Amino acid sequence: MTAAQTTSLRPAKRRMTRKQRRLTIIAAAGAVLALAAGLVLFAMRDAIVFFYGPTEIAEKGVMPGTRMRLGGLVENGSVQRGPGQRVAFAVTDGKSTVKVSYDGLLPDLFREGQGVVTEGVFEGAGRFKADSVLAKHDETYMPREVADTLKKQGHWQGEAGATAPVKP
Amino acid sequence: MIVEIGHYALALAFGVSVIQALVPLWGLSRQDRALAAVGASAALVSFGLVALSFATLVASYVRSDFSVANVFENSHSAQPLIYKLTSVWGNHEGSLLLWVLILTLFGALVAVSHRSLPPRLRAGALAAQGLVAAAFLAFMLFTSNPFRRLVPAPAEGQDLNPILQDLGLAIHPPLLYVGYVGFSMTYAFAVAALIDGRIDAMWARAVRPWTLLAWVFLTLGIAMGSYWAYYELGWGGWWFWDPVENASFMPWLAGTALIHSTVVMEKRDALKVWTILLAILTFSLSLLGTFIVRSGVLTSVHSFATDPARGLFILLILVFFVGGSLALFAWRAPLLRQGGLFAPVSRESALVVNNIFLATACATVFVGTLYPLALEMATGDKISVGAPFFNATFVPVMVPLLLLLPIGQSLAWKRGDLLGAAQRNAVACGLAVVAALSLIAFTRGGPVLAPLGVGLGVFLVLGAGFDLGERIVARASGWPAMLSRAKGLPRSAWGTALAHAGVGLSIIGIAAAAWSSEAIAVLKPGERLTAGRYTVMLESVVPRTGPNFRAEVARFQLFSGDRELAPLEASKRVYTARAMPTTEAGIRTDWLSQAYVSLGDAQDDGLAVRLYDKPLILLIWIGAIVMALGGGLSLTDRRFRLAAPRRAAPVAAAQPAE
Amino acid sequence: MMIWAVFAVMTGAAIFALLWPLSRGQVPGFADTADARSLYRSQLGEIDRDMARGLIAAGEAEAARAEAARRLLRVAGDEVAPAGETEPSLRRRRASSALMLSVVPLLALLIYGIYGSPDNPDQPLAARLEQAGPQQDFAVVFARMEAHLAANPTDTKGWSLIAPIYLRQGRYDDAANAFAAAMRNGKPDPDLFSGLGEARTLAAEGVVTASAREAFSEAVKRDPKNVRALYYLALAKEQDGDAPGAIASLNELLAGAPPDANWTAPVRDRLARLEAQAKGDAIAALPDAERAQAIKGMVDGLAQRLSAGGGTLADWSRLIRARAALGEKAEASQAARTARERLGQDAAALAALDALADELDLKEVKP
Repeated sequence: MTAAQTTSLRPAKRRMTRKQRRLTIIAAAGAVLALAAGLVLFAMRDAIVFFYGPTEIAEKGVMPGTRMRLGGLVENGSVQRGPGQRVAFAVTDGKSTVKVSYDGLLPDLFREGQGVVTEGVFEGAGRFKADSVLAKHDETYMPREVADTLKKQGHWQGEAGATAPVKP
Repeated sequence: MIVEIGHYALALAFGVSVIQALVPLWGLSRQDRALAAVGASAALVSFGLVALSFATLVASYVRSDFSVANVFENSHSAQPLIYKLTSVWGNHEGSLLLWVLILTLFGALVAVSHRSLPPRLRAGALAAQGLVAAAFLAFMLFTSNPFRRLVPAPAEGQDLNPILQDLGLAIHPPLLYVGYVGFSMTYAFAVAALIDGRIDAMWARAVRPWTLLAWVFLTLGIAMGSYWAYYELGWGGWWFWDPVENASFMPWLAGTALIHSTVVMEKRDALKVWTILLAILTFSLSLLGTFIVRSGVLTSVHSFATDPARGLFILLILVFFVGGSLALFAWRAPLLRQGGLFAPVSRESALVVNNIFLATACATVFVGTLYPLALEMATGDKISVGAPFFNATFVPVMVPLLLLLPIGQSLAWKRGDLLGAAQRNAVACGLAVVAALSLIAFTRGGPVLAPLGVGLGVFLVLGAGFDLGERIVARASGWPAMLSRAKGLPRSAWGTALAHAGVGLSIIGIAAAAWSSEAIAVLKPGERLTAGRYTVMLESVVPRTGPNFRAEVARFQLFSGDRELAPLEASKRVYTARAMPTTEAGIRTDWLSQAYVSLGDAQDDGLAVRLYDKPLILLIWIGAIVMALGGGLSLTDRRFRLAAPRRAAPVAAAQPAE
Repeated sequence: MMIWAVFAVMTGAAIFALLWPLSRGQVPGFADTADARSLYRSQLGEIDRDMARGLIAAGEAEAARAEAARRLLRVAGDEVAPAGETEPSLRRRRASSALMLSVVPLLALLIYGIYGSPDNPDQPLAARLEQAGPQQDFAVVFARMEAHLAANPTDTKGWSLIAPIYLRQGRYDDAANAFAAAMRNGKPDPDLFSGLGEARTLAAEGVVTASAREAFSEAVKRDPKNVRALYYLALAKEQDGDAPGAIASLNELLAGAPPDANWTAPVRDRLARLEAQAKGDAIAALPDAERAQAIKGMVDGLAQRLSAGGGTLADWSRLIRARAALGEKAEASQAARTARERLGQDAAALAALDALADELDLKEVKP
């Protein structure tokens, strides 16, 4: 009913039927989607990192040199600073402990006894070299993976946790 | 008493929304216009009630009424008034109330705009909108009630999360919400069209302002959020491919596709079914975003304390609206009348290509965001999908789209001339290549992709400018004629060019990030630190007291080479009510670049300081603002109320016939 | 009552507004060509305006007019006969009115009934602060004091007043800050020093840290008879493993006490416990019969002391456990009952006692 039907498209040979046009569109969409799917599959292999707790590292036999995220609690009394921006601390889930070294500034809410998620390379023998320590926005918030890890090891103390301020 | 009035108003608004959803539908099915008209008055009433409710919550915050749990948990009497106000939506319950307020405001606008909308479409849209409002009111009343009371009332509040006590974040959620809610209007119109079984250019024209409005605000909201993360979190990063960020980015991508497909529909009456589907998907992605943010199913650095019960409720809402509308789509879409034809090389086809790429890009973000969740449910393995994944998938999909953009933009409707379009862009393309090559030569040994990215951005900006320039110059001779031609160009043409140029500016800013540099050191007063073009010297560290925080302020002097630029301050604050520390970065804007200083912990041998040189970083957000301005300009275009068909003039084939 | 009147008015107004469209008489059906016609007219006007401004050529304008006319025809073609006011339409109006009159107030009242607190008045902070006299709640006075100190951080008198309150509230870090603030500009006072030390100790969960000990030493330097400081210094000795030293210090402290001093009881407790511990080490070396006798004597001593008055939850729990361990069920139950009476104000303590009674299987303790 619209312009297309009232105004003829002049070069008749270029005219496509509705079906052809739809097929063209579907083919184009399919090609782009296939490209994207290929990219996604390719990236899935190389560009994702696994998350482990200290115990899982031991149990799953993570190979040294693996890039991963490590989560758990910062062990009390384990934070050692210096020289420079070098920070060493231990991440624990109550059962196993991994020693982490990190060069850089720690996020504001990094505290002993609190949950933490770090990303970096597992060096083997319970050592981990972190290149980022993730911050969080809320002191009562516990990274979900950390919470799960702790639950698994039986160190979870409810929603707020022992270190979080208790809301009435 | 006013608190309880607000609470009751909210409960009453729920009842009214239920009526708004039911009665007009009945009217539609019985062809009874009187019943359908109830939708409009219900929309107005429920807006009034929600506004009243919101006003009482605001009053409770301003008066520090800690007998309201929500006020107690998120406010402090020592807060400056502005943050007492922004605390209203700086939390889950209050932000939901704001969400519903905007939703009902839009409903009320639809209700009063009875002249420009076909009555059946309006009735259907109001019914669908009423259903959305009812669902969210129920969610709020049952799981997230902002009017819960405390007995006895505490004497002092727990303060708002300090990192939210910031003007940038104060306006970020309302902007995002206008965006999300605007897409809910497009959704309501799509559902109405499906119920009615009829869709035409009128529909596109009715929907386009909402889509544009939503898109403009979402663009600004995302940009604001990104800038906030950049200066407040103190990491110097501005986008982290974090689930919460992706949650707002997916509707934006889908919404961008929707804007373009409604243009096709409005002008050429084509792509109807796809546009309807896109409208449904865009709002579904907005709901999914809300679900992700509120339920905590995905780990995000932006997560705040979450509540599984709420997550479940939102999941139910999500399933109902997405599933319901898709079922309706499957049932009714085949009934929709097919639209106009167009040649493979035409503006329409270009916009189809745009939609294919944008939808695919959105799909990659979707996969990257939800894959960890799926994998964890399937195998129990926990993974994180970060920037490397998106750089390897999203970016390669977007680059061809952006390369094709200037060409598509200068193709004519219905039947275009690819060669002509390519020729028209040859100059812009040539200049962009020159820019990229000279950058490569200039920054030898630096990152290679960055100059190419800048070249792409330059191509987009120049392409948009040339396209506009040609339209002004081509048919006119002499300045007066050109001036009148420029005035005569529809605002949407200016808007389009502006928005596309904005994309180019952002790309330049993003590409230039590869040249940023950073340095960390432990400084004592008098010592210096250099990163890139900038050097800071730590002068002193002094304590300072704010209204609800204490701060240690480090004073720096900023140098560029040996030239003294400006004093600079960065600080660590401790908000007393929550004993929570935050870092306030010191930022000095130097034209489009910035020097950025953030503090680490005080150590025995000095203060840990991080300095960044961020060249051209402001372009990222300036580009976003330009995009939004373009969208706003298009929004004011009233010329295309009627999709007037143009007989293709013999010469005009080489011209974009607007 | 007033609030329900307001709710009634709100409900009434909302329903009235909802019913309004139904009250109007003749309402045309949907397929109303008037809308389409007015749209058509406005479109023609727009085309004319565009042509006048030279934005479109005459030929284009003609095509646009034809398209607009075609659309008008299409709308007209879809037209169904106007519904008008028929019997079914009246019935529908009545039904939907009934629906609104019932659903809206019902839903609102139901939900508000569950979640609302109609009897809870507004309590804006300013009004609460203004409220003077004895009915003024302590929390508000306290909040006002905090606000005052936040505004005047140099008010050392204020800090010295608020610090012990923090200490009592268990906000030890705040208390330590407040004691320090009170000394920042004023003259160092032995009581402030010992308070600071106590706050630091409690913040460290009862461990007399080095910084706490420093504060206590400062206090003793200024006032050699400062009881609190001397007591904690003795505690520090105990924690260092120097039990004889701690006992000597405590004895010295008690010796110097004025006869009417009210603080001697806890010191005596501590001393008794220390001595018992020291004796305990000795008791462990005794033969079985004598050991039982010695233990019994100690437990009886504790019971005697507690029956005289005072005693914390920990003391009572120790006694109850000891009785139960010695097999004296009846005495244990009796002790638990007395403890319940003494600690009746403290809900947490009661709960702990009940849990203890359950654990030790003591019957008839709970009232």
